[in-house]
Parts: sequence; structure tokens; C-alpha cells
Amino acid sequence: MMNQTDTSKFPRYDKLITDARVHSSLYTDEKVFEDELNKIFRMGWVFICHDSEIPNAGDFVRRNVGREPVFAIRSRDGEISVIVNRCAHRGNIICQEDKGNTKALVCQYHGWAYDTKGALVDVPYPGGFKGDFSCHGLERLPLVDSYQGFVFASFNENAPPLLNHLGRATELIDRAVEMSPVGRIRLSGGWVRHQLNCNWKMLPENDTDGYHVNFVHPSFAQAIRSNYDEAVLDDEEGLKSLAKDWGNGHTELFFSPSYTRPLEWFGCAEDRHPAYTKALLAAYGEEKGGRILRDGPPHAVIFPNLFLGEMNIVRFEPVAPGVCLHVHTPMYLEGVEDDVNKRILRQSEGALGPTAFLLADDCVIAERAQNALQGKGRWLDLSRGAEREVVADDGVISSHLTDETPNRGFWRHYRSVMHPGAPTSGVSAVA
Amino acid sequence: MISVEDRLEVEAFLFKEARLADESRYSEWEALVDDDMHYWVPLQESQEPDSDQVSILNDNRTRLATRIRQLNTGVRHAQLPPSRMRRSISNIEIEKTGADEYVVRSNVVLYEFRRQATKELEVWPARVEHKLRRKDGELKMFSKHIFLLNSEGSVRGLSFII
Ligand code: FES
Ligand SMILES: [Fe+2]
Repeated sequence: MMNQTDTSKFPRYDKLITDARVHSSLYTDEKVFEDELNKIFRMGWVFICHDSEIPNAGDFVRRNVGREPVFAIRSRDGEISVIVNRCAHRGNIICQEDKGNTKALVCQYHGWAYDTKGALVDVPYPGGFKGDFSCHGLERLPLVDSYQGFVFASFNENAPPLLNHLGRATELIDRAVEMSPVGRIRLSGGWVRHQLNCNWKMLPENDTDGYHVNFVHPSFAQAIRSNYDEAVLDDEEGLKSLAKDWGNGHTELFFSPSYTRPLEWFGCAEDRHPAYTKALLAAYGEEKGGRILRDGPPHAVIFPNLFLGEMNIVRFEPVAPGVCLHVHTPMYLEGVEDDVNKRILRQSEGALGPTAFLLADDCVIAERAQNALQGKGRWLDLSRGAEREVVADDGVISSHLTDETPNRGFWRHYRSVMHPGAPTSGVSAVA
Repeated sequence: MISVEDRLEVEAFLFKEARLADESRYSEWEALVDDDMHYWVPLQESQEPDSDQVSILNDNRTRLATRIRQLNTGVRHAQLPPSRMRRSISNIEIEKTGADEYVVRSNVVLYEFRRQATKELEVWPARVEHKLRRKDGELKMFSKHIFLLNSEGSVRGLSFII
């Protein structure tokens, strides 16, 4: 199959990625990185924010889409726009604050003023301005859509609908918000920006890698008794958790089969939060409510930059081929007592970020990997467990927790995005 | 005003605390800590300890004990081998807040050589606030709050005792 663009100057992704291996240059090559910023972070859908971060008219948050500085802002009509953070005059930053509230967007350089949808409304010293206001608005991302309050955007007006991109992974997002009895989460806890000197793809790959836990986290296992003892630290025969490929690059470590009692995933006794338990059962009924209480939240990556990290939400930000950010916030629940959200906050501080009992170790291992992959590099083997995968009726692929099923799912989708015409992901999009 | 003797004693405590942290002598460092310790690296300068805002680190005594236990396992990759560190403490202001209690404010610059992976020198400038009390004739700390200058920027792995 041919495609329109001249691919000769790009790496041959179809050669560098097979189902069993990928080449290390994909983590180190500057050309690959630039190409990803375009094909994945501009042409595809990217997670921007949750609508609970900007509940009121005029609320905004700054973000980066790849290297593009943008901000998401809510207008008086309730609509959320995602706007490139760059003045239409001579390109200065419009929003300097990380978050805030404003009636209008006024550039600090020469005072051009825009409304909350990015339309130019005022130019100081108008006598010298011969342009047309309607041609000098801020650059808005043409596609903005949300699912369960998760706001995604794309620079590509021809990108397929968000629901096609999410595919069956909407179920993962549903499972996250259903941890709340009212089906709503709130990202109001602030974001910690943890810098790792490794390629950004190591974040989605490692966050759903079930094979490394005993080797990277033995100090955690020795120092702390936790729900992870059952879920990820058991021996090969004992592990009941599964690794999953949901298609379109979305992947999961499915811990729920390891849990036998309510709130085990929350690291507490089942009667520890009676009001929460009662509210979930009342909201979803005995059967589904009971299942939510036992199964716990998803541990899943939504391609390319969103991690539903149990009771945390994480954004991945590529900075350079060898630099990225793992940016996290606690996933607060609406409709619960404060002590539930308090526990979520304390667990978030324990698990994620620069000082965490878990992530600090992943960070060092990833930085060592980045170092090892310099130079000529080598092939990385991703074949583990390929022969024991099970494909469900809905197309979701499951395998033993330690199998490289999520990695293969990530790379299969990556290849289809980076090299259109290559075989696509194993699971088809929503019909 | 506090006495010169008090000042010397408090400064000696700070310097010892810094040296034990610099040298990753985790258990000896932990021996300086009282039972109600709060060890904290907030995300924002104006953050309240008990707010709903996430912190970079927020340890009560129990969690701090877990942290030390993890470092002492000898298999904490993030500190394998431990960072080489030296910190300078200056602008020490001491306020006596009770018969045997002090709040100590200082500026700290910590230099860290990250031997575990990237082998770079990292610099950690911070405003630090200690709370100390005299117990059985010796100073103990029951609070250490570290306000990193770049806490809201990008922060590298911070798995040592800061
Ligand atoms: S650059 Fe914004 S007004 Fe001139
Ligand atoms: Fe890990």
C-alpha cells in the first residue's frame, strides 16, 4: 500500500518493528522523535485534561501536546477549547500561569486581546492595524472531544472520531470513573512533574509491564506488605493477574482476578470505609457494586499519553528523545467521604513521583536502559508469552501477567500510526 | 534572642543531620527523629500540610520508618549505589518556641552525584524548616519541611534523604 507523503526520509518502521522485536533506535533517534511528535502527538488524539480541572467559565490549564504549548479553557457557554499558547501577532506566550481563571486573554507583549475561544477582540493603537480581526485569532485545535470528562484533542481535523481511537478502551475509563458512586472523578489535587532521562515510550511500556516487578521492586516487597503481594509479586504459577492488549495501543495489567475480598485493592480491611461501600452498592446494585468493590480500579494505558494508574491519573510528556515527564495527580472521587480521598492522596504520594516507593526505582532502571541503547543499539526482544495468549470474543488479548502482550499491543499500534499501510492493531475499532 | 549556647547546639544538630543524610547513614539519621516526626516536601510554597494538594513527599513517622526500611534493604535500585552528596546550610535563623523547642529556618543547597544511572551532578536548592525539641537532654527533630525551589517545575528522582 502506498501513502501520499514521501516516507523515504523516515526510518522504515515496518522493518524496525515486528511482533517479536523492536529496534533500539526507536528510543534514541532524533528523526524518530520528531516524526512521533507529528504523527502521534499532532495527527492523533492526545489526552489534555479532565473537565473537573476547569469547572467554571474562564478556568484554564496549561499543557504541552508534544512540544506544542497549549491551554484548555472553558468559555461561558460551557464549551472547552484547546488553544495553542502563542499570540497571533508575534508569537508570545499568552497564558503564563499553569492554571487560573480569566475573562479575556491579553498578550503581555503588545496587548492584543482575545476572548476565551481565542477570537481576537482588541488591538491597541488600532490606527496602524489594517488586518481583519477574524483572520488573527489564536490557533485552536480543530478537534476537541471528551469521554467521561477526560478531554482529548487533535491538531488533525481529519482524525477519526475520538470513540474510534478509544475503541473498547472506553470500558477502562468507565471502570475508573465507576470507582465513584456518582460516576465522577475530580482532578483537583495538583500535578507533580517527575522528569526521567529516558525515552517517553518507556513510560507506557513500563507502566503496563508485569514482568519487572519482582526485580525492580524487591525493596518495596521486602519493606511493605501490600495488595501487590498477591497481584504482581507471586511466582509464575501463583499469579492470577493478567496482561492485556485492548487494541489501538491501549494496554492493561488486570489485577482484579487476584483480589478475593472487597477493598483489597485499596490496601485496607473490607469494613474500613463503610459509607463508601454502602454508597457503591446503592449506586450500582449488589452485583455490579460488589464487583467494583472487589475488582478495584484499572491499571491501564490509553495510547499515547494517559495512564489510568489505579487511583491516580498520569500524563506522559515527551521532551526530547532521551527526556520525558511522568506527571501525576490523585484521582479523587466525587460522592465519597473525605477519608476515602485522603487515603487516595496518601497512596498517590507513596506510589508515584520522584520520592515514591515504586516509581523512583522504575526511573533509575529506565535511565539505565536509555544509556544502554545509545550508539549502534540492538534489537529488543518482545516475544515473551506470544504462544499462550488468549483472544476473547471482543478481540481483547489476555495473557499471563508477565507476558509481553501489552508491549506487543503498544508497538503494533505504534507501527500502524508511524507507517500507515503496515498491518494494524489486533483489535478493530468500535463498529 | 536565644543564647549563644543554644545557637551552637542547634547548629551542631543541623550539621550532623546534614552529614548523616549526605552519607546515606539511614539508621543513624533516623535516630535523630522523634515519634511525631513530619517529613515533608510540598509541591507548592504556600501549601498547607493537611490540604488536599498532592505533595512530592509527605511522611508521618510510620511512613518514614517504611522509607528507611526500604533504603536499608540494600536492593532499593534508586539508591544503588547511594548518591554521593554534600549539602551546605546557611542563613540559619533560630526561634525559640517553647522552653525546649525551636523552629529553625535555613537555606540549603544540596549537590548530588547520581551514580545509579546517569552519573550527572544535580543541584537541589531549598528553603528548609526544622522543628527541634530537647528530649532527655538531647535535641530531636519532630518536623523537617523542605521547600524545593523547583518543586512546581520538573523534578528528578529523589530517593535519598533530603
Ligand atoms: S506578540 Fe502578542 S501582542 Fe505582540
Ligand atoms: Fe515498576
